[in-house]
Amino acid sequence: MIEFTLWDIVRNLLLAARWTIVLSLIAFAGGATLGMLLTLLRLSSLKPLRLLASVYVDLFQGTPLLMQLFLAFFGAAALGFDVSAWTAASVALTLFTSAFLCDIWRGCVEAVPSGQWQASRVLGMNYMQSMRHIILPQALRLSVPPTVGFSVQVIKGTALASVIGFVELTKAGTMLNNAAFAPFTIFALVALVYFALCYPLSCYARHLERKLYGSGIR
Amino acid sequence: MELDFSTLVPYAGELVQGFVTTVVLTAISTLAGLGLASLVAYVRSGKASLLGRMLGGYVEVTRNTPFIVQLFFLFFGLSALGFKISALFAAFLAMTLNLGAYSAEILRAGIEATDRGQLEAARALGMSRLQSYRHVVLIPAFARIYPALTSQCIIVMLGSAVVSQISVFDLTYAANFIQSRNFRGFEVYLVVTLIYLLLAVGMRQAFGFVGRRAFAFRQGGNA
Amino acid sequence: MHKPQRILKTFKGALASGLLVLASISAIAASTSALASSLADIEQRGTLRVAVPQDFPPFGSVGTDLQPQGYDIDMAEYLAEQMDVNLDLVTVTSANRIPFLQTDKVDLVISSLGKNPERAAVIDFSEAYAPFFLGVFGTEQAEQIEEPAGLAGKTIGVTRGSVEDMELTGLAPGDTTIKRFEDNATTISAFLSGQVDYIATGNVVAAQIAERESQRAPKMVFQIKDSPCYIGLSQGNDELKAKVNALIEQAKQNGTLESLSQKWFHTSLPESFGS
Repeated sequence: MIEFTLWDIVRNLLLAARWTIVLSLIAFAGGATLGMLLTLLRLSSLKPLRLLASVYVDLFQGTPLLMQLFLAFFGAAALGFDVSAWTAASVALTLFTSAFLCDIWRGCVEAVPSGQWQASRVLGMNYMQSMRHIILPQALRLSVPPTVGFSVQVIKGTALASVIGFVELTKAGTMLNNAAFAPFTIFALVALVYFALCYPLSCYARHLERKLYGSGIR
Repeated sequence: MELDFSTLVPYAGELVQGFVTTVVLTAISTLAGLGLASLVAYVRSGKASLLGRMLGGYVEVTRNTPFIVQLFFLFFGLSALGFKISALFAAFLAMTLNLGAYSAEILRAGIEATDRGQLEAARALGMSRLQSYRHVVLIPAFARIYPALTSQCIIVMLGSAVVSQISVFDLTYAANFIQSRNFRGFEVYLVVTLIYLLLAVGMRQAFGFVGRRAFAFRQGGNA
Repeated sequence: MHKPQRILKTFKGALASGLLVLASISAIAASTSALASSLADIEQRGTLRVAVPQDFPPFGSVGTDLQPQGYDIDMAEYLAEQMDVNLDLVTVTSANRIPFLQTDKVDLVISSLGKNPERAAVIDFSEAYAPFFLGVFGTEQAEQIEEPAGLAGKTIGVTRGSVEDMELTGLAPGDTTIKRFEDNATTISAFLSGQVDYIATGNVVAAQIAERESQRAPKMVFQIKDSPCYIGLSQGNDELKAKVNALIEQAKQNGTLESLSQKWFHTSLPESFGS
C-alpha cells in the first residue's frame, strides 16, 4: 500500500490549486465581459433588452450553482454539444459570475446621484454621451470594491466544479482523502489554501471600500 | 433526443421529501444564523476584546473558504477525531455558521450607521444597556439592512444544494437519486432547478411579508 | 432614484420564465441527437476514451502523483493496446459513469460496473471481465447480523446508483436508514470516520480498506450477490461490443486476466470465471 507523507499531500494540493486559480481567472474574465454586456442591456432605453437582462440575472441568482453545473455538464451533452468538465465548469461559472457582476454594476450606475444625469443633459449631452463621460467613470470608481469582493465568491464557487469531476483543489482533497484517509488534516489544509487565496482579496476589497467612502467623510 | 418528463412522476414522493428537507433546513438555519449574527455583531461592535477577536477570526475563516469544504471538514474531519455528528446536523451547523458570518458583517454595517446620540438618549431615559441596544440599535439596524439580509438568506438556501454531497436527503439529493434510477438526468435537473427558483421567489415574498409587518413603524418615516 | 426592479418577483413571473426556458430547451433537445462513436469512429480518431474509477481500489485509485492505477486501468490499457489506438482515461464516479456513456463523453466504461435491469435498459454490456462479490460489511465492534432482516433500525452507507444500492434498497427492511453517497470515496470515508458502522460494497474493496485501516477493518456480515464486472458501452454499438468481447475472451485464454487478478487482488480468478 502506498504511504502518503504530509509533503505528498501538501504538494498535490498546491498543484491542484493551480487549476482552481486558472478556472477562477477564466470565470472572472468571461464573467466580466459578459457581465459588461448585460449591464449595458440592463441600462438600455429599450424595454425588451432590459427585460431580457433582468430575467437572465434573476434566473442565475435564483437557482443553485450546483444545479447550473449539472445542467451545463450533462444537459449540454443531451442537447448535442460535446462538453468536457473543463468547458462545462468554465461556462457555468462564467454565466453565474456575469449575472452577479451585472447586478453589482447596475447598482453602481444607479448609485450615481441623479443630479449628475440632469446636469449632463442640461449641458446638451445625449444619453450615450452622458453615460460615457459623466456616469460610467463615477460608476466605475464605485464598482471596484464590490467587484474585488465578489472575486472571492468566484474562487469559492470553483470548489463546486469538483462535483462534476473537475480536478481542482477540493476534488484533489477528496481524492487524497480516499487514498490517504486523514480527513481532518486534508480538509483543514484544503480550507487553508482557499483562505490563503481569498483572504488577501477580501482585505483588499475592504481597504478599497474604506478609501472610497472614507475620503468622502473626512 | 426527446425529453420525457413523465418518467419523473413515480418519483414525486422523493421530490416532496427533498423539498421538505430543504425548506425545514433553511428555515431553522436562517433563524439560528440570524441569532448567531446578532450575537457576533453585538460583541464585535462593542469594545475590542479577546472574544471579539476570536469571533472576527470565525467570520473571516467562514467567509473565505468554500461551503463544501466546511461541510466535508465538519462531517468527516470532526468525526475522525471522535466528534461524531450526523449529516443533517453537520448541514445545519455549516449553514448556520455561514449565514451567521455573512449576516454579522451586514448587520455590523447597519449598526455602525446608528446615531450614537440616540443610544445615549435611550440610556438617559433609563433603559438598560441591553434594552437600549435592542430598541435603538438592533431593530433599526435590522430594518435598514433587511433587503441585504433577505438576499443572504436566499443565497444560503441555494447553497444548501451542496449538503446532498454528505447524504442529506434534500432537493438535490432527490434529483441525484432519481437520476441514478431512471437515468434521465437532464429532465430531473431542469425540474429541480425550477423548484429552487420558485423556492427563492417564495422566500423573497415571505421575507417581504414579514418585513412589512415587523418594521411597519419605519414605513411612515421613510417613504 | 428608482428601486431596482425584479422581474421574477412573483410566482407567476418566475413560473412563466422558467417554463419558457424549459420549453425552448426541450425544443432544441428534440431537434438534436447525441450519437455514440462506432468502432470506425474510434479507429479514425485514433483514441479510445475510457471511463475509469479513481476512488475504488483495487479497481482504480490514485498514487502519490494523483494518476489513476488499478485493475480497471490495466484493463483499459490492454484494450487500447490490442486495438492499436491511444488511450484517454477519464475518471468518473459511480453516480455519473452511465451519464458519461449516454452523452458520448466516453466510448467504454471500465469501472467495476455490475449488471442490473435498470442499466440494461439504457446501455449494453460486454462479457464479464472481473469477478466481484457484493456484501454488507461491518466493523468488528458492530453488532453481528446474519441476514438482511437484521439490518432493521441500523444505518448503512452505500454509493448512490451502484448495484449494491439497488440490491440493498430491495433487501433491507423498511426501517433501515440507507445513507447514499455521491461516490465510493465518500462512502468509504463515511465508514472510516465512523459516520456509519455498516457499508454495502465489494469483497475486494473491503479487503483493501482492511489492509489500510486495521482499526476499522470491515468484516463481511452477509453476501448480497455474485455480481461480476462488465464493460459498459452505448446501446446498438455492436461492432465495438464484438471487438471488446473478442479481446476479453483472448485475455481469459492467454492469462492476461489471471495476471491482473494476481497483481491487484493477490489471488487467482475464481473457477466460475471461465478460466
